[in-house]
Amino acid sequence: MSATLLSVEALRVHIPVTRGVVLRRTTGVVRAVDGVTLDVREGETLGLVGESGSGKTTLGRAIVGLVPPTAGSIRLRGVEVSTLSGRGARRARSELQMVFQDPFASLDPRWPIARSVEEPLRLHRAGDRRERRERVLELLELVGLSRRMADRYPHELSGGQRQRVGLARALALRPALVVADEAVSALDVSIQAQILNLLQRLQEELGLAYLFIAHDLAVVHQISDRIAVMYLGQIVELSPGVDLYREPMHPYTVSLLSANPVPDPSVEAARERIVLPGDPPSAAAPPPGCRFHTRCWLRERLGDPEICRTLEPLLREVGPGRSVACHFADEAAASPVTRRAVDLAGGRA
Amino acid sequence: MRQPVLSVRDLVVRFSTGRGVVHAVNGVSLDVEPGGTLGLVGESGSGKSVTSLAIMRLLPRGGRVVSGQVWFGGRDLLRLSAAEMRSVRGREIAMILQDPQSSLNPVLPVGEQIEEAIRAHERVSRPAARARAVELLGAVGIARPEEQLGRFPHQLSGGMRQRVMIAIALALRPTLLIADEPTTALDVTVQAQVLELLRDLTDEVGAAVVLISHDLGIMARMAGRIAVMYAGRVVESAPTEELFARPRHPYTVGLLRSIPRIGGARRALVPIEGSPPDLERLPEGCPFAPRCAWRIEACWTQNPSLATDDGPAHLVACHDPAEPEEVGPGRPIRPGFAPAPPPGIRAGVA
Repeated sequence: MSATLLSVEALRVHIPVTRGVVLRRTTGVVRAVDGVTLDVREGETLGLVGESGSGKTTLGRAIVGLVPPTAGSIRLRGVEVSTLSGRGARRARSELQMVFQDPFASLDPRWPIARSVEEPLRLHRAGDRRERRERVLELLELVGLSRRMADRYPHELSGGQRQRVGLARALALRPALVVADEAVSALDVSIQAQILNLLQRLQEELGLAYLFIAHDLAVVHQISDRIAVMYLGQIVELSPGVDLYREPMHPYTVSLLSANPVPDPSVEAARERIVLPGDPPSAAAPPPGCRFHTRCWLRERLGDPEICRTLEPLLREVGPGRSVACHFADEAAASPVTRRAVDLAGGRA
Repeated sequence: MRQPVLSVRDLVVRFSTGRGVVHAVNGVSLDVEPGGTLGLVGESGSGKSVTSLAIMRLLPRGGRVVSGQVWFGGRDLLRLSAAEMRSVRGREIAMILQDPQSSLNPVLPVGEQIEEAIRAHERVSRPAARARAVELLGAVGIARPEEQLGRFPHQLSGGMRQRVMIAIALALRPTLLIADEPTTALDVTVQAQVLELLRDLTDEVGAAVVLISHDLGIMARMAGRIAVMYAGRVVESAPTEELFARPRHPYTVGLLRSIPRIGGARRALVPIEGSPPDLERLPEGCPFAPRCAWRIEACWTQNPSLATDDGPAHLVACHDPAEPEEVGPGRPIRPGFAPAPPPGIRAGVA
């Protein structure tokens, strides 16, 4: 097992909700990330899945320093980065980079792409002008773009090409970890496959680690070594990718698997689906006890145990590299509902 | 096959932009069976949404139907007067879009919007329309519908708004529902609820559905028949089972190989190399040829038309369709294959 690169401990990011412009006052707080502990190892891909409002994006942004944490720690190779300032912070940040869903939004439309890719090099005063230009051309080639693209503008590029530029820019400072937030979600499937393959090749060549955030279970499965599932600001399950989809232990993971449409009509015809009632509750007022209890299909089957409504389950280790936050994880794993969801989730591959 | 409820024939739609002409739809023909669900699959720019807007005669500014027919209920919709078309829309053909926010009026309570939709087409009293609205909201699974009537769209979640849209769309029991990426903006668990609802209610009303989506998983669940679009044309059309089991068009094969799947051993994805053509400068031959590993000489010069293959229900537009043994998953397309522009055309000096 490789060494730990990044460790996040008991991280909280609470975002105040304000009202009024003149008499601005805080009316509540959204607990976007509410006690997350996880590690990313050198060279691995940790997938992070969850629905909107689960806090996965906020977690990624906190890791790269785009939002300040409320509490907890983020350490890169043992060095706390969330409280660093000055040169130390800048050096640490250069090792933590992010690519976004919409690369168009992160590229300046008035600049040729070479300038956007060069920007981080200039900010960190890397090399002289000629050396930087050479590095930019190298980076473009690395992500599969021709050198001729250097002087094009973002609007002249396709979605896939723009995402490659976003990657080149993120790689400029030779990061150790790239946080990819829904980086392939907006792309058409044929292009999405090109970018996923590119991410894998870059990982092999450069020894990068990824925190790969996405809502699509199949995409996350394709690229991740381990997968963490988030619900309302917390991690509810974390496992090696194969285990998570073969033996899910949290009822929420099971319902995600069951809801995920499978590109196989014979499976879809045979399938009974767990349909969760309602929408996810708001992270401003998470339910007491287990946050998932208001939508949990297992709770009903177990005769509505009181503990689910009163006691918040902790993420606990249940096997090598596997953790789950559910009072009834064994019951969830053994349920025929879970078996059916798993049998059908993959299609007749 | 029974008399189709909708027949599109040789539809051509173009857009004039400041710079040139976009060939958005280039001869699309489709049939939708009564009560059936036709899935329209394709990537962005494939013309699937433009086709549906042309059917509804709701093309945005700059777009026009150049030729073709849209047969519905014994009439060519493209020849109806504006007033006749208004009465078809909503009453006989309803539409649901990806973003319900854009189709709901933000300053009107949702109850009033449903009542308005009913009263626009039927002579019913206000209280009767209100009672129908309550019933409809209940039918789309909204709890305590009486209380929700007075809420404004922004007070509802995305899933709830899409339920309201479904209530409005099905209020008048249309014969055809066009749903354009109805769940793309929703979370996967909410998407499952909305798809289930859509299927149950259209079954109940007996409406046929044209479902537009880029998601092959959703298609596998919902569609009875699938038409795959590329560069403004239908390149393959077959019953859903058949399309997944025996895809024949190289583009369909490529799509199926590009999607990651859960379960089983993880395999490398085989992407479709290159990118879709520029709709302002379509090549003379097959628009997929530059990216196609099966292409032959004829592909550069002749655009193949949609013709039967493997039985009357399976249509393919390809000079040399893929053989079943070539479409096995995980198999590389053709060693050393690289996308290329047609011979004779050099990539610009740019």
